Amino acid sequence: MKRMTRVASLAAVAALALTACSSAPEEETTTAEETSAATDFTACMVSDSGGFEDKSFNQSGAEGLDQAVADLGIEEIKVESSAETDFTPNIDSLVQQDCNLIIGVGFLLEDPIQAAAEANPDINFALVDSSFSAPDFSPLTIDNAKPLLFNTQEASFLAGYAAAGMSKTGTVATFGGIQLPSVSIFMDGFADGVAQYNTDSGTAVKVLGWDKAAQTGSFTGDFENQANGQNLAQGFIDQGADVIMPVAGPVGLGAAAAAKAAGNVMIVGVDADWFDTAPDYSDIILTSVIKKIGQSVVDAVTQAVEGNFSSDPYVGTLENGGVDIAPFHSFEATVPAELVTKLDELKASIISGDLVVESESQN
Amino acid sequence: MSTVVEAPTASSGPQSPRSGAVLAPISWKAPIAYAVVAVIALIGFVVVAPKGLETTFTVSTSSDFFQIAPITVPSTATALLLCLVALVLAGVSFWATRSRRKVGVWLPSVYGVALVLAFLTWSAAGKDSALPLTGLLQGSLFLAVPLVFGALAGLLCERSGIINIAIEGQLLAGAFLAAVVASITHSAYAGLVAAPIAGALVGLLLVLFSIRYMVDQIIVGVVLNVLVIGVTSYLFSTVLKVDAATFNSPPKLPVIGIPVLSQIPIIGPVLFRQTVLVYVMYVVVAVLQVMVFRSRWGLRLRAVGEHPKAADTVGIKVNLTRMKSTVLGGAVAGLGGAFFTVAAGLAFGKEMAGGKGYIALAAMILGRWSPAGALAAALLFGFSDNLRVVLGIVGTPIPSQIMLMTPYVVTIFAVAGVVGRVRAPASEGIPYVK
Repeated sequence: MKRMTRVASLAAVAALALTACSSAPEEETTTAEETSAATDFTACMVSDSGGFEDKSFNQSGAEGLDQAVADLGIEEIKVESSAETDFTPNIDSLVQQDCNLIIGVGFLLEDPIQAAAEANPDINFALVDSSFSAPDFSPLTIDNAKPLLFNTQEASFLAGYAAAGMSKTGTVATFGGIQLPSVSIFMDGFADGVAQYNTDSGTAVKVLGWDKAAQTGSFTGDFENQANGQNLAQGFIDQGADVIMPVAGPVGLGAAAAAKAAGNVMIVGVDADWFDTAPDYSDIILTSVIKKIGQSVVDAVTQAVEGNFSSDPYVGTLENGGVDIAPFHSFEATVPAELVTKLDELKASIISGDLVVESESQN
Repeated sequence: MSTVVEAPTASSGPQSPRSGAVLAPISWKAPIAYAVVAVIALIGFVVVAPKGLETTFTVSTSSDFFQIAPITVPSTATALLLCLVALVLAGVSFWATRSRRKVGVWLPSVYGVALVLAFLTWSAAGKDSALPLTGLLQGSLFLAVPLVFGALAGLLCERSGIINIAIEGQLLAGAFLAAVVASITHSAYAGLVAAPIAGALVGLLLVLFSIRYMVDQIIVGVVLNVLVIGVTSYLFSTVLKVDAATFNSPPKLPVIGIPVLSQIPIIGPVLFRQTVLVYVMYVVVAVLQVMVFRSRWGLRLRAVGEHPKAADTVGIKVNLTRMKSTVLGGAVAGLGGAFFTVAAGLAFGKEMAGGKGYIALAAMILGRWSPAGALAAALLFGFSDNLRVVLGIVGTPIPSQIMLMTPYVVTIFAVAGVVGRVRAPASEGIPYVK
């Protein structure tokens, strides 16, 4: 019995060690080349549970950081979180590794980043997709923390308009992963774009999956389970939808698979241009709502390296190119010229401020 | 909803009392529960529901041979009719309980179907979108496939006395290897063959640590889950992502329609227009149901799980039996993992099993460690999961966050309310030492 306990405890320790190995956040430390005028600046990044290979916002953020490192000759440390419980320990470990700037990617990191920023006033922080708020939800400015925000609804408005214009069945759909402001902002813009198209051309294109007035709609419940996205998209297709915009990170690939299997169904990508990031589905990507998270990260890092870090939020808009819609690529030939013209007009009037796209989730 | 769990498990339970001359006291719990729920449904779906609306159901898919026009019914009257059916059944249950008659599975089944239909009629009343009945069932089966395989894997292991918490890891390993092999060979079927091997390897690790080193089986299981997540995520980032075209673009298993059968309205497209994986699932469930309870192999398996010492004294090799069944269980779960990649036609993604392995564990318990029960429980979970999806699409006034809770609420009610006390194999989790 004694032997058994010993073996068991030994195995348990070994197992724990294994666990530690396997789940340890993958750290990639790129040391700046000796030759470059290396500043001793270290920019660090924490992903949310999607990881840096999510073909979505985490990936965009990581690419931005890589870009900044290449441009500025600084050092970077990237840490992946595999669950929400990883956020705080990951940020703490970065604090201990003497990072000068720590960037959290994603709305879900708001609280951990805010807590770390308040606890470490000598380190700068940036947070993608969320501003900071006091416990009573009133906005809060933290001197050493910069929110990187996006008026995504402006770009997804255009995508919604294009989707309505391209739909043959008169039904389009959108769904989200989890109902977060950074997700529903896409869906608000999309629904408004469809409504605008209906007003302009006297049609009655239906939007499934999101009710802007009630702020309720279809969500798969996470950003991992692609089969759920596939099933939900299949449900939309059963209802006649032929353009679907999944706002759910990698879960959206499930929707793309369903669309591809169904044949004549198009997908509107989000965050990055899916024509490039999801080549398997390039022939069904109508367009993508691009959120240039990467550029905002590059800007934030550059400011911090140059000593111009400020807590003023960065807000990406159509005007400054922080958000945009991708070219039609495979559908270039099929999109009617008048629709393209109309989209350009709408874009111009959004930029000039004549047309304001509202979203409850906007910042 | 109570259809599943009332399934008689006479063969599974050695504890089912054989009442002799003394009559057990009559239990009124079931009929009272039936009546109360039916009355609540009557009030909710008929009395306080808005009047004068219509509900439309579609029963054909666009690819059906026989197209059936959408059925439009007056909402309130239909819900009333269905609730009355449920009330009558509750009455039958009272009568049967009183006269100590046994009613078959049909009563809870019909009762459940009536109430679910009443709920659907109510929730889609007055919407412009029709409620797709076929789509609802198709999606339920789709979502249930990994759960069924996972639950079968769990029961194979647990019937022999090894707790398998590693179902999640086995599913994930199967999904991974299926994707890689199918991509390299350009054959979805090769992926389908590879998937069980990956699952079996994880099962082998589980049984090695459990039997040879007698580590607490729950700890090993949890560690294996994390290990598989770590290994697959690492390989995904370092190998699969670098050359996705070679390693991570699995072809999709073709959907094979069975002639004639697949043309039956509603049921046909749901059951008989599927991939090979689903047909294999039907076979595995049927074979295991017979083998576990009606064969010498099954008897030995159960004996080892219930009373290993007794099994040993009659010459059954306890640890060898456990090893074989756990590896087999791992293989079954691995096969289920193929669902996520080759059957769904998706590239492998990190942690793409998304917790289905744990839900499968719940389905196994809800199904009382029997293959048929596991199938029914998995379908119940799949149905409740897809119900919220379909209602979300059709449009319901219920907020999305509350809708997302539906599957879990159903699980809690099913496990706590209907199943009641279940008994696991007696020697589960205890290493056997001579």
